[in-house]
Amino acid sequence: MKFLNSKNIQTIVILLVVSGLVFLALSGYLTPVFNLSLNPLISFQRWLSVRYISAREFLTTPREITQLQEQNALLESQVSQLQTQLIVEEERLGEAQVCFALLDFGRTNPQYEYIAATVIGREISPFLQYIIIDKGIEDGVRFGMPVVTQQGLVGRVDAVIANAARIKLITDSTSVVNVQLQSANVEAQLIGSLTGDVSLDMIPIDETIEPGDVILTSGLGGNYPPNIFIGQVLSTQRRNNALFQTSTVQPIVDFSSINAVLVITNFEAVDFSPLIPEE
Amino acid sequence: MIAHLVCAISLVVFYILQTTIVAQTPLLAGYSDLILLFIAAWSLQPKAKNKWFWTLVAGVLISLVSAMPFFTPLIGYFGVLLFSVLLQNQVWRVPLITMIIVTFVGTIFQQAVYVISLQVSGAPIAWRESIDMVILPSILLNLIFAIPIFAIASELARRVYPLEEEL
Repeated sequence: MKFLNSKNIQTIVILLVVSGLVFLALSGYLTPVFNLSLNPLISFQRWLSVRYISAREFLTTPREITQLQEQNALLESQVSQLQTQLIVEEERLGEAQVCFALLDFGRTNPQYEYIAATVIGREISPFLQYIIIDKGIEDGVRFGMPVVTQQGLVGRVDAVIANAARIKLITDSTSVVNVQLQSANVEAQLIGSLTGDVSLDMIPIDETIEPGDVILTSGLGGNYPPNIFIGQVLSTQRRNNALFQTSTVQPIVDFSSINAVLVITNFEAVDFSPLIPEE
Repeated sequence: MIAHLVCAISLVVFYILQTTIVAQTPLLAGYSDLILLFIAAWSLQPKAKNKWFWTLVAGVLISLVSAMPFFTPLIGYFGVLLFSVLLQNQVWRVPLITMIIVTFVGTIFQQAVYVISLQVSGAPIAWRESIDMVILPSILLNLIFAIPIFAIASELARRVYPLEEEL
């Protein structure tokens, strides 16, 4: 009976109590008691945790803002560098596209020799349609040489100095170009205007002109080589009692945004003035 | 000497701006004339000297570059200068209002001279179309640019002439 001494009995009682409490807890009978005792503990724990997190954020956030600002500045500089590179590459791409297009025009018209030139300015007076290019006498540009782009006819050299030349556009109000309508095989005159629009005049009244007809230079007059594309007919006006028809024209070249042109150097304009009888 | 240098550089800068940017941004078919505005603004500066000389230089320069016939730009610029000098000596004490009036009247005079000279040289230019498409838009654009150009000219004159007096 040595086993039933007071110490062992105490241990057994404690075990039984603990087992009972565990049994009661597992069976859910102690939940109200737990809630009653744990809720204040959890509330305090939450309060302490929130305060700790707030304090930690207060202490650490300024350092993170500085880091973020540094990272942001770095990224912004990288973005601006990339944007600059993108702009440079786009400019190069645009120049390359223009060069390729001009080269393509040269390949498709191998009978001509060309000088490529960049447009560096425009006429000061708004009444005239002229451009200024960066090639002149030293580069082989001469008065009267026709000027084209990869799309079609632009005009002809009106004045030239050592390193620059002035080009009279076909849209100028004093410009007259002899043309032919490809589909109808009709000859007419292309005239410019104050506003830069071009139109066809001197079309025989009995000819039928359809919208979309292609307009090419005819070569008559000796100012321009034949068969250079100019544009298409938009609409035709036929007036009663008029001797000729007129047509509005959509030029193929966008004259408001010409950046580069080709000067045809092996075409010599014919000067008819000695053949014109004096009055 | 400094004033001459400033005038020469200003003319070159305004000429480049005119041919490269202003002439490529039209309103209908008209656009501003920065050289005209600079001549008007410079001639309205009370301390400015050699106005006639620099108007002559500007007129000859533009006449050589432009395809306009018979040195027409020179006539137009001298008309603007004459009008600004007349107004400055007569009535007006508010230079900005004088600048606007000179710009308005000077633009009309210059464009009228252009139209007449082109008609004389055989260009098929009609008055009505010129007024609608070129002259009125050009007046509007010149009036818009008149104030900043006048401010630039005033600032240049204010900075240059004390230096000239020191020298």
